[in-house]
Amino acid sequence: MRYTEFTPFDLWLLAQGLGVTVGLFLVTSLIGVAIGVLWGVVRFYRVPVLMQVITFVAEVLKNSPVLVQLFLVFFGFPAFFKLNMTPVNAAIITLSLNTAAFVYVIAVSSIESIGRDQVEAARVFGLSRWQVLRHVIAPQAMAFSIGPLTALLVNQLQVTSLISVIGVMDLSKIGANLNLRTLKPFIVWTAVGILYYLAAKLVATLGAKLEKRLRAHSAFRGL
Amino acid sequence: MLKVENVKKAFGGTIVLDGVNLTVNPGEVVSILGSSGSGKSTLIRCINGLEKLNAGRITVDDFDVSKPKELAEARKRSGTVFQLFNLYPHMSALQNITLAPIEVLKRPKAEAEAEGRALLASVGLGDRADAYPAQLSGGQRQRVGICRALAMQPRYLLLDEVTSALDPEMTSEVLDILAKLAKSGTTMVFVTHEIEFARQISNRIVFLEKGVLLVDLPTAEFFSAEGGLAQPRVAQFLSKMRKD
Repeated sequence: MRYTEFTPFDLWLLAQGLGVTVGLFLVTSLIGVAIGVLWGVVRFYRVPVLMQVITFVAEVLKNSPVLVQLFLVFFGFPAFFKLNMTPVNAAIITLSLNTAAFVYVIAVSSIESIGRDQVEAARVFGLSRWQVLRHVIAPQAMAFSIGPLTALLVNQLQVTSLISVIGVMDLSKIGANLNLRTLKPFIVWTAVGILYYLAAKLVATLGAKLEKRLRAHSAFRGL
Repeated sequence: MLKVENVKKAFGGTIVLDGVNLTVNPGEVVSILGSSGSGKSTLIRCINGLEKLNAGRITVDDFDVSKPKELAEARKRSGTVFQLFNLYPHMSALQNITLAPIEVLKRPKAEAEAEGRALLASVGLGDRADAYPAQLSGGQRQRVGICRALAMQPRYLLLDEVTSALDPEMTSEVLDILAKLAKSGTTMVFVTHEIEFARQISNRIVFLEKGVLLVDLPTAEFFSAEGGLAQPRVAQFLSKMRKD
């Protein structure tokens, strides 16, 4: 005999699942943004070889399904390299690299959006490449990239749901379990969907706030 | 001394500078005239190291701009003012001016800011120190651009068509400042289309034509019948510019 009614404990389970989802999202976003920006800087300095390698890796990551990447990391790597891989580690590696690939694209286009004329002026006054990046390019590129970056992160938050298939107890996995027990998919998935929505909305709102602050002085951009 | 020796520069198959020689002594104001595409701006860009030379040599006080180790020193000695201002849009007028003194010359911030404010006051922008470029008019932006170059205390001021993007009223704002600088003994290399103004402030005028320095004469001689005007191309250029 199975217990098909909802209990208050289910709310606790959902909260736990949400915690896992948000936690993984935050960790992989931080790692992904750090790696992606680093890759962008490597490209800015036009480091030979390394730059081509990064471009290739980013291409591969962007142009293949996250689910395939996840399976490769979770099933493929342990089998090939003879190592242990927990579902959480596989999820962190896959999502971080996937985020990094897209952050790289945003970083490159933001850096390139800064007018060459300003960069030339700064160079003429003797600023080094690093000083130009730090004082002239980065502040403007940051303001420029917050919009696309927010959109990316909102999307990556939804993508975390894929990790439930390798057994990470995230919000989607909890939802699937609850659904199996209660057989009330409409209620379960509506509740799960609302939780994702609220989390995504929070990310978008924070992004918009940050963008507004960073662009406070840039009446020069936009109409 | 700023020395340009037999400089050649081509973009792809287009020869822009074809063996240019030019010497600018401290205290001189040298104007460079010539029609569009004659290589004036490219010459400036070669002097401040933005373009690599194909042949020849440029030295600023004996520092060779083609040698990476000497370029920094050469750049410290020359300040550039750009046609399109090239200000940093995310920085206030004052920050635009103090960035290089603080970062490159390692001047204390307070000192650099005091000097920046004094420079802004000297060009009539004392009350606009905290304005962003987008909040300034074209003439005001170019005056900030001049202050930014002067803040580095350059020995040579390179001016690349600094009034070409400005209307006549704003042009006179900027030219007034340049006239003051010329009077105070600032060394200037002045690429321009403002012929009358060039005549007033220059010690020497050079005329570039298709990458070749056709004429290099003291100002009075340049405008005399047996001097610059003896060159048909110069006479043609001057009469055309005056008609406009």
